[in-house]
Amino acid sequence: MLILRIAALRPIHGYAILQRIQQLSNDALQIRQGSLYPALYRLEERGWLKSDWQAAESGRNAKFYSLTKLGRRQLEAEKASWKRLCAAISLVLETAD
Amino acid sequence: MKESWLKKRRWERCMHTEFQFHIESRIADLMQDGLTRDQAEERARREFGSLELAKDECRDERVFEPVDRSLRNLRHAFRSLSRAPGYCAAAILTLALGIGANTAIFTAIEGVVLKPLPYHEPDRLVMALLYNRSLKYATEVSYPDFLDWRRNARSFEQIAAFKPAGFDLTGPGLPQHLDGYEVSSNFFSILGVSLLAGSSFSPDNDRIGGTPAAVISNRLWRERFQSNPAVIGRSIILNGIGFTVAGVLPPSFYFENELADLYTPIGRVDPLYQTDRTVHDVICVARLKPGVSIGQALAAMKTLQEHIDDLNPTTEKGESAYLVALKQQIVGDVGDTLLLLFAAVSLVLLIACANVASLLLARSAVRAREFAVRRALGATRMQIVRQLVTESVLLSFAGGLLGLVVAKLVLFAILAAFPGGLPRAGNIGINTSVLLFAFGLSIAVGILFALLPALKYGNTDVQVGLREGGRSSTASHQRTQSALVVTQIALALVLLSDAGLLFRSMIKLWQ
Repeated sequence: MLILRIAALRPIHGYAILQRIQQLSNDALQIRQGSLYPALYRLEERGWLKSDWQAAESGRNAKFYSLTKLGRRQLEAEKASWKRLCAAISLVLETAD
Repeated sequence: MKESWLKKRRWERCMHTEFQFHIESRIADLMQDGLTRDQAEERARREFGSLELAKDECRDERVFEPVDRSLRNLRHAFRSLSRAPGYCAAAILTLALGIGANTAIFTAIEGVVLKPLPYHEPDRLVMALLYNRSLKYATEVSYPDFLDWRRNARSFEQIAAFKPAGFDLTGPGLPQHLDGYEVSSNFFSILGVSLLAGSSFSPDNDRIGGTPAAVISNRLWRERFQSNPAVIGRSIILNGIGFTVAGVLPPSFYFENELADLYTPIGRVDPLYQTDRTVHDVICVARLKPGVSIGQALAAMKTLQEHIDDLNPTTEKGESAYLVALKQQIVGDVGDTLLLLFAAVSLVLLIACANVASLLLARSAVRAREFAVRRALGATRMQIVRQLVTESVLLSFAGGLLGLVVAKLVLFAILAAFPGGLPRAGNIGINTSVLLFAFGLSIAVGILFALLPALKYGNTDVQVGLREGGRSSTASHQRTQSALVVTQIALALVLLSDAGLLFRSMIKLWQ
């Protein structure tokens, strides 16, 4: 879900996705760098991400990932279910007091 | 194949570039933070983790991975099997015998029983005979009976008569004794056989005083007349009478007697014979009208025959009619015998499977350790099961290939073993459906005998496997082994009694 969210903004390469996740979560979320790519490949196989090769800021060619229409729908669905789950959990936590 | 290989190469290169880009970017960032190039490189690689592991995980995500993975499995299976040639040879030979015997019997069944008769809509063809009520057996018909049936039977589209006959062909060329049939003029049209050249004789040839005409077999045409089309209309001398060759049969034509070479009109013979109701030597073949069942036709024929009996009280006593499907008449009891044989060889195959499975188990000392190690290194249970199945399917496939050779040999034995020869023996041969059968059987057998060890190893606790793997046997191993032996003995007993029954019924048939 996080990957989809980040790729939703603009086409972005794998290394930058990792940086964004760490930056946005104030370094709270640490991902083993090597395990990012299998996730990316899986999302691409499922048709939620598409990729193309572009020049990065450093001038080198990098693989940029962006969200597909299907991916956008998936993101919305996952966001909604996440919110429901959060709401349910916090409800339980607060009423249990 | 090559294209997909190129595609894969490109894919791999892309993945590699992507990972390199990641690491380089990380190095650049770390260097900006003040690390030296070496430090940064070391740290970037550590943070990324194993490059190969990441690559493998990415490869597993690909859709076209399964093909690739099974190729890898196959290569692995080859290697692991080639390390145990003795075991392989034993397993392959055992399977070859089992699969070979099955394939041979299936080939015979396919040719004799399953394949439809080579006639037009063969299911509507029946043989019509007389039934002697007091002696309780079916018998041939007299020629006047046939004429009565032809005039009066309403259930048939057509009815034809035939009787076996021998011919002395004395010209042109060397004299030769040949088998054949005397048939009525509609015989070939009832079967729905169209002639290769010329035509069947006409009703005009098929009456007293008609011009003698003959239809010859494809073999006779080839061997005696060098496949010369000009033979049509030529005269040949049969039993001292000149017959005109009217037509040549196609090579595939077969009726009852593989060796029949000549067909002449039945209706042009001795007038006395044509009215004699006491000479029973004609067999009728008839085509049922569409939608009429054998039972209905038989009921109608019985009524008709009663009527004929009433009209001829001196010559026709206690005669009834008898109808049987042409195929049943031709194939007869042989079909049942073949099916019984098939059941027997299926049991042999099961025993072969049990043998190979116990061979597999005997190897378990080595394998248990190997699988425990692989499990410890992170192979999933599914991967190990897949590996086992690949290995055994490979084995059974080799067994299947060798089995085809065995099948060929067994077929010779079968053909030699049936007294008087199998009907439709010319139809028996290894063809596509037989190959498909052997192929499917191999795969099924492979999966079958892989399942047992697969279930066994699949559940192995890694720790126990590593500790005990070195030792030769465990209690559970012995239990499985003895279960297999019990199964084998049970199957062998069934096979033995089966063989006994088969032998008894064969002897009875000969008596």
